Amino acid sequence: MKDERRRSPFSAFIGTEMEELREGYARVGLTLEPRHTNPNGVMHGGVITTMMDSALGAALGALRGEAARRDPHATVEMNASFLSGARPGDRIVVEGRVIRMGKTIAFGEAEARRNGDTLIAKGRLTFAIRERGQ
Amino acid sequence: MSGPGPEERPSSPFVELIGGRLEEWREGYVRMSLTLEPHHTNPNGVMHGGVVTTLMDEALGGVIASVRGLETMFAAPHATVEMNASFLAGARPGDRIVVEARVLRLGRRVAFGEAEAHRGDDGGELIAKGRMTFVIMDLRAT
Repeated sequence: MKDERRRSPFSAFIGTEMEELREGYARVGLTLEPRHTNPNGVMHGGVITTMMDSALGAALGALRGEAARRDPHATVEMNASFLSGARPGDRIVVEGRVIRMGKTIAFGEAEARRNGDTLIAKGRLTFAIRERGQ
Repeated sequence: MSGPGPEERPSSPFVELIGGRLEEWREGYVRMSLTLEPHHTNPNGVMHGGVVTTLMDEALGGVIASVRGLETMFAAPHATVEMNASFLAGARPGDRIVVEARVLRLGRRVAFGEAEAHRGDDGGELIAKGRMTFVIMDLRAT
């Protein structure tokens, strides 16, 4: 396997793990701890948006390969629906899939599940692919 | 009715973990900040999108709490159900990110708000804009 698993310092900092990465697909996981919560003691929404952004950025990176290193892509839009909550001890898994890649724009979607079944969040992300020299 | 005083502002363990700071809190307005460090970046060495979405979610949850009052909030917590964010410009370690949040409408069961993230104080470049919808959960009704 090539060195496609470039680590995101922020993902490492909050404790997410890359479980699977292949062209156009990535799966990241995290076991929720008290430090991932909001004032109500449940998962902070930022944990999920972070995992979605990481999963899709990596899935697109794996699909673009060497070009991603030369001309990085950046998230320009994110929409997320939070369908259900999660608590410390819950295992959160986020899958990201690239649904279309153009020359300058790529689209992806992400799903977050709790403990292997319940869908707890759904997201759509759009990336801009920067052309070299621009 | 006034919002909660500075000594009783709710804060999130997750936001404390990443280093977000509450700068201003009054009824209907919350401002937060974070100085970007290398551990806030993505593999390209620029700010991870999750940093600014976390701050926007926190600032908006806080501003809705400031209007509803803390006692009301803990009796019937509000939770984010929708977030839309546009990432207009990037940021790098050393940059100071300032997020402001305002309530657009507070209803009985749903609240709407918007947030802006700028680079630096005093109206620096707009780097992200967000719109969020919260549901108010009536725990007593269940």
